[in-house]
Amino acid sequence: MAETTDVMRWQTKPLECWRLAKEIREQYYRNYAQAREKGGLRWVGGAWSFGAIPCGLGDDVYGLTSEPYGATIAFNKDLALECQEAAEKYGFARDLCSYMRNYWGSVLLNKYAWGGPFPKPDFVWQDHICCSHAKWYQVVSELEGGIPYFCIDVAVGPYHERTDSRVEYMVGQMHDGIQWLEKITGRRYDDEKLIEAVKNEIRCTSLWAEICTLNKAVPAPLDEKSMYSLYVHLVLNRYTPEVVSFYQTLRDEVKDRVANQIAACPTERCRLMTDTQPPWAFLKIFRYMESYGAVSIGSLYTYGLMGIYDDQPDGSWGAKVTPMERGVAIKTRDQALRAYAEWTLAKPLWQHFYNPALKSRMMARLAREWQVNGVLLHYNRGCEGLSIGIAENRLALLKEGFPVMPFEGNMGDEREFDDTRVMSRIDTFMETLGLRKLY
Amino acid sequence: MSPFQKFQEWHQNRHQYAQEWKARTGGKVLGYFCTYVPEEILYAADVLPVRILGSHEPEDVTEPHIFAMFCPFCRDCLAQGLKGRFDYLDGIMISQSCLHIRQAFWSWQLHIPTSFSYYLPMPHHVQSPRAQDYLRGELAQFKGAVEGWTGRTLTDADLDRGMEIMNTNRRLMKQVYELRKAPNPPLVGADAMEMVLSSQMTDKREHNQELAALLEKLPQQKRDGDPPVRLMIIGSEDDDVAFIKMAESLGAVFVSDDHCTGTRYFWNEALPQEDRLMAIAQRYLDRTPCPTKDWPERRRFQQILRLAKEYGVQGALLIQQKFCDPHESDIPQLARLLKENGIPSYFLEFDMTVPLGPFRTRVEAFLETLREEDLF
Amino acid sequence: MITAGIDMGAKNLKVVILRDGQVIASSLIRVGFDTQEALDEGLQHALAEVGLSKGDIQRVVATGAGRNSVPGADDAVTEVRADSAGITHISPTIRTVIDVGAEEGRAVRCNAQGKVVDFAINEKCAAGAGAFTEAMARALEVPLEELGALSLKSQQTVPMNAQCAVFAESEVVSLIHARTSKEDIARAVHDAIASRITSMARRVGVEKDVALVGGVARNKGFVDSLRRDLDMDILVPPDPEFVGALGAALIAAQGA
Repeated sequence: MAETTDVMRWQTKPLECWRLAKEIREQYYRNYAQAREKGGLRWVGGAWSFGAIPCGLGDDVYGLTSEPYGATIAFNKDLALECQEAAEKYGFARDLCSYMRNYWGSVLLNKYAWGGPFPKPDFVWQDHICCSHAKWYQVVSELEGGIPYFCIDVAVGPYHERTDSRVEYMVGQMHDGIQWLEKITGRRYDDEKLIEAVKNEIRCTSLWAEICTLNKAVPAPLDEKSMYSLYVHLVLNRYTPEVVSFYQTLRDEVKDRVANQIAACPTERCRLMTDTQPPWAFLKIFRYMESYGAVSIGSLYTYGLMGIYDDQPDGSWGAKVTPMERGVAIKTRDQALRAYAEWTLAKPLWQHFYNPALKSRMMARLAREWQVNGVLLHYNRGCEGLSIGIAENRLALLKEGFPVMPFEGNMGDEREFDDTRVMSRIDTFMETLGLRKLY
Repeated sequence: MSPFQKFQEWHQNRHQYAQEWKARTGGKVLGYFCTYVPEEILYAADVLPVRILGSHEPEDVTEPHIFAMFCPFCRDCLAQGLKGRFDYLDGIMISQSCLHIRQAFWSWQLHIPTSFSYYLPMPHHVQSPRAQDYLRGELAQFKGAVEGWTGRTLTDADLDRGMEIMNTNRRLMKQVYELRKAPNPPLVGADAMEMVLSSQMTDKREHNQELAALLEKLPQQKRDGDPPVRLMIIGSEDDDVAFIKMAESLGAVFVSDDHCTGTRYFWNEALPQEDRLMAIAQRYLDRTPCPTKDWPERRRFQQILRLAKEYGVQGALLIQQKFCDPHESDIPQLARLLKENGIPSYFLEFDMTVPLGPFRTRVEAFLETLREEDLF
Repeated sequence: MITAGIDMGAKNLKVVILRDGQVIASSLIRVGFDTQEALDEGLQHALAEVGLSKGDIQRVVATGAGRNSVPGADDAVTEVRADSAGITHISPTIRTVIDVGAEEGRAVRCNAQGKVVDFAINEKCAAGAGAFTEAMARALEVPLEELGALSLKSQQTVPMNAQCAVFAESEVVSLIHARTSKEDIARAVHDAIASRITSMARRVGVEKDVALVGGVARNKGFVDSLRRDLDMDILVPPDPEFVGALGAALIAAQGA
């Protein structure tokens, strides 16, 4: 027993809001599937699409976001393989985005990951920054027999270089999108509902940044593997009051864990961070590293996929002050869309599309402020959008003095993940960090 | 002597050409990474735009900079920079298109300093009515940056000159392409490819003169023998002349293409209007799109079908740089559409260098199936 | 003190026995399906050379792909650490060690103390590894051992256009049909692998002095191609395939 106590440096306990998180997620997928039964509408689109906008069509409009759906399939190895083979049989290349191939396969097979046939959407509401975004739903629209499709281009350059004209381009497309929504659904658009949804989304993404900032504490109250289950609501339905309330609860619980030094990983003696989506079918690598006392405290991916950050008065990185807190008026449709566009443009994970140096700077900052000892870079063959520039990020982090271990894999296609060799590479990396197996 | 000799020389000696141009004119040379770059504005400023392309040699210098799942074209381009072959460049720029090629631009910017580098956030939603004002704004900002760099103000007359140079080049190349409609065309695909490639490497005023001379001679050129099988080549960036020559040695001739080293580059002109920058913006929004900008409608497919019909295409080779996601998301649907329209197609994946032996077998087999269809 | 280093590789098992830090015996055995049998045989073979028995070994450290399936080992270290410990013992000025084995190629940058600074391992595609030369030797119908000498006689550089191993094999067939000489094809094969390995090594930054270890280092043709490609001198130790096992045996001695 003495040895065990030595290995377990910190006390730990499960998260209390874990069950609530699970319930919200299940309800989301059920809502989408059952929307029509209550006369409601179904839309599909990417996790980054402006999901608050369709809320103006009514409370019975439910979305299904594609990346989390593709990841859900990836987690189910048998279904994933079936979907990928269906996409390949149709003629699509194996090296395309693996979420996209999982999703297309699911449509082609007419199999919903949660059972039954794939619930046909009424329309597509997408946004575009990565090459695959718009093409993904162009194909979906075709496969579904030509369902209406609207997509907003958000690739207008990095946040710090934004101009009126760039914001105007986005806002203009949003206005066009609302008119289009009214036209294809025959419904009257309610600006009040839009305003509320936009505010909810801003609240949620700010709360998430606050939660991630709490993870600067040693020991870390959250580990990255758990965060994957906690951030998911941000990519599902961040514009709803239930999700705002969930993140408030989570924030309070994490604060409490920090105050009482409750660790996510009781063996924590080395803090790591990763990059890009993990290979979903191989999350065991996180537990494996814990056997060395190494915990991944997060990544720019888990923190910045949705969280919105800014410089704090003390120079550190933390949650961005919301426009509501700043007293910005959000009373009209145009004001809501403008606030929405401005806020979203600050997304950390939108910056590297214009220059890897912007991402390198954020990663180095994260590594310093969160007291990281080493970095694992997932060279993700399944996602070109998040792995562009990753080799330059590696060089930049090495230059900053952080040990870096790249490993190739695929978030959604396990055929491209070499289990044994990645584990062996982790052993090597742990060895270079001076860590030995604790159990 | 081939009437295309000058184009071939330019294509083969691109670096020498640019260096001599620089010495001769004292002007600035700018390397660009994507054909969405508004060359009109560069010509207006008397800057020579040259396209950065690869050299089709195996390389081992880009691995630290670009993750291996990105296309060989972007790696080949970067390799040229890292090997110092473009040391004469005064500036570089890219117009936002696919994710792959912008990595070559970034690593170049990070590791090979030049006095000017510019990322133009070209809109993707080119079909949106909002794209015009936005792109016009971006062109104004870019024009300002070029003015700052060159130290001269660009007037409407300068922009008119830039547009005229570009439009003339486009018009003349289109006229040359017209001749490919003949049953036994006076030029082969390799000639056409080198003509377009050299236009991306030389001063278009010189290129225009050469094109005018070519148009004098070319219609008189007669080719003997049986008419070859008429092919169209469609896909991502392609400057693999060796492949084209190999395929054309098998009794085929390429009569048209959909490449950014071909029709997508030059097919449409900038139509004059009072607001010059708007005229230029409109031109790039209306050009045959790269697949990454071709949504929600598939407008490129319609252009491909038009060309295939006008040029009497019997079969199409669909080629793609390995890992080119935008083309990969088009190819299955494009192959179906061509088939519905009676045009068989065959798919080939291109790497930095292509194994000509195995590819020859594939092309031969495809041509055999096309000839069989002729018989019945 | 007597220590042993065991390198359980993808194809061969290597054993090095040290007495007070000096190599006294070594052996190399092909690993078949039964790794245990190979292990016993390899160890016995080496020990017999110097009239010792298993019980005389005070510490055993295992390395290599199969390092965790070596029963009786006191510890296991990765190939990266073993290579770095082994090579700095042989030549303390080495800063970059490139290891090309049957299935894997890796590059390790180390400091003056033999500590690993950075490392790179080739990804899934085995085109950079020894297995590829074997396949190519088969296609050319020459024994693997002769492939190196053959390529040194090459008169001209033939580019290998295929970028992946599967295409490379069919390209070699095309080259044979095109009556390219075996010598030139052999060199093209080595140039292609050298280019792949150089690419990987540049990821960690190639700092002088550079050593090449692992079984493929025995191939003179490959070494020649790699020297040309890196444009620098490369040290190939006398028994390049034993460097990992040597490193493991040295670590065993340090850890005692």
